[in-house]
Parts: sequence; structure tokens; C-alpha cells
Amino acid sequence: MNLETDSGACSAYEARLEDYLSGQLSGADSSEVAEHLKACGACSAALEEARASVRLLALAERSPDPGPGFARIVMVRIRTELEASREKGLWQPFVSLAWRFAATATLGLVLLVTYGVFASHERLARPAAPSMQSAEARDFFTTDADRVPANRDDVLIMVAEDNDGNR
Amino acid sequence: MSVPLTRRARAEEDRDLVRRAQNGDEPAFEELVRRHQQRVFSLVGGILRRREDVEDVAQQIFLKAFVSLRRFDQRSAFSTWLYKISVNECWDYLRKKKVRPLVYESDMSEEQVSRLDGIVSQERPPESPIDRAEARDLLERILEKLPEQDRQLLLLKEVEGFSVQELAEILDLNVNTVKVRLFRARARIMDFYRKRIALARSAVNSLRAGERKTSYESGNG
Repeated sequence: MNLETDSGACSAYEARLEDYLSGQLSGADSSEVAEHLKACGACSAALEEARASVRLLALAERSPDPGPGFARIVMVRIRTELEASREKGLWQPFVSLAWRFAATATLGLVLLVTYGVFASHERLARPAAPSMQSAEARDFFTTDADRVPANRDDVLIMVAEDNDGNR
Repeated sequence: MSVPLTRRARAEEDRDLVRRAQNGDEPAFEELVRRHQQRVFSLVGGILRRREDVEDVAQQIFLKAFVSLRRFDQRSAFSTWLYKISVNECWDYLRKKKVRPLVYESDMSEEQVSRLDGIVSQERPPESPIDRAEARDLLERILEKLPEQDRQLLLLKEVEGFSVQELAEILDLNVNTVKVRLFRARARIMDFYRKRIALARSAVNSLRAGERKTSYESGNG
């Protein structure tokens, strides 16, 4: 069964009409298609449109010529790319070592900074309760203005200390 | 007088050049470039339709071919292998660049419409180089609207001169499928062309009707 298709031609004839259009059919096949075209208006119309498409497309411009120097340019580009990849390969161990060193150093720095920040936060957050040791230290090395003398000797010592301080 | 080489002889010479290039002979590869550059340009041009990109993409194709040459086992012809690389490279390029259809701001004038229609229907070539450039410009507008596959097949076959057999090999399609697709693509471009011409004509007619109305009104007023 020859169903009509997108091109409007019979489905069994589309490929042969393409060959017929470009003169690719042998004598017998060509005559057979020509006979069919006489009887089939749809295929004749589709072939006419295909012929018009050839005329329309003949207006299109062909791609530009590569020019005489193109092969040379390609070879220069190939050599440049090869050189670059060879150089990259030569320096690769050093580059990767440098990257590893840089990464380790950065990590170390980050850890140090983090530790410093946390430590200072902890120190600020801790309550300022005097320890036993600091109380003792104040007894021996600092002068307490609110100290109450326990006896006469204490009064003399405090007066002597005051005199020493004012001198 | 030099006799053009047959396809088989050329393929045999290619085979020898490939063997030499695979062993590091750079001049042999340069000779392969020289032998195939025109066809690669045609193929790339037929697919991309952007003249400014053709040379860059063609260079990239030969670079890829050089890098992969050691893996090429010569089971197919060098040309087929190279053209397949070319097609893939073009499609990659189109995908990466997300090339959009060109947008034309002006539409066809009446004169342009009748000129193009005359060329297509009466089998008359454009008279002057200026006409030809104009007609090409109009054709490009129509081509831009076609589906990608139709456009590529039509251009590669009709403009760049690839045979149906070559297209089947390059695009990994059955020969019969290529013929059917080509024939349908022809119908589609002509359908689009006729609609475009009709649209341009109706635009011209309504413009004229508008002008007539304006002159009638101004005449009465």
C-alpha cells in the first residue's frame, strides 16, 4: 500500500524519487518511476517541489576555503599544545607537592587560629572567683587598706609600712 | 596532464600516511590535513553555518584527530573516521555555545519576494552579484527556521556536495533512511518557503491597502 507521507509522495517511492532527482537510477528503475509519475499526481507534485528545492538551495553559499596556510597553522597548534602538555607533565610532581604543602600549611594555620579564638573565649567566660593561692599571695605581697589590726604590734607594723610607702 | 586519483587509490594513500603518522611522522599528518581540510571545512560549514567559527572548529577537529590517531585501527576509511570526529565536534560546539537562530529585524520587501520567487519558480539564476547576495540572505532566513536535521542534510547534500553514501556513513544511518529524510526535508523547506512568500505578499498587500485608504481619506478631507 502506498501511503502518502510528509513529502506528499507515496511512501514506497520517496527514496526512489530522491535517486530519480539526482539521476542515480538505472535505466529500468528510472522508467518504472517515470511510469509511476505519469499516474500519480501526488508523487509528481512532490518531485516538482524537490526540484524547486534544488534551485532554492543553489543560492546558498559554500563554506569558505581553508586557504593555503591552514595545514601549517594546524601543525603549529598541535606542536604548541603538545609542548604545553609536556611541560605540564614535567612540572606536575613539583606542582602537586607545592599544592600539598600549601594545603597542609593552611590547615595548620586554621587550627591554630581556631584554638586561639576558643581559648580566649573560655578565659573571658570563666567567673573571677579568687582562689586560695591568690588570697595567700595578697596577704603576703599586697597592702590591704581595709585590714583591721588584731593587736598593738599589728598597729605598729601598719604605721611603719605606711611611713615606708610615703617616703 | 594529472589524472584525478580514484577514491580507492586515495584511500590507500591515506592508509599509508596514517601508518606513518601513527609512528610519529608529523609531515605525514600534515599531508593528511592538506588532503582533507576542504571536506572538513565543508562539513563544519554545512552544520554550523557560521563562517567565523568554521576555521576554529576545523583546527580543533584536526587536533583531536592527531591526539586519537594512535587508537585508530584503520578498519574504516580515514576520511569516514575524520568526518565522524567532525560531526561530533560540531554538535558539541553547538551544545556548548547554545547557538541561537539569527534574528532578522527587517522582513522581505515586495521586490525581494518577487525576485526570490522568480529564481525558484522560473529556474532563472540571479542576474547580478548584488541580487545573488540578497537571495542568499533570504535563503538563510528560511534555513534558520528549519529543523536542525533537515537543514544539515540539505546543506551537506546540495551545497557542500556530500553524496548520500557519505552522509549515511558520517551520520551512522542507513542509505535508504538518508534518501527518505532528504526527500522529506526538501518538501519541508519548500513548504516553509511558500508560507514565507505568502506571508510577505499579504504583508505587502495590507500595507498597500492601508496606503490607499490613507490617500482616499486625505483626498476626501
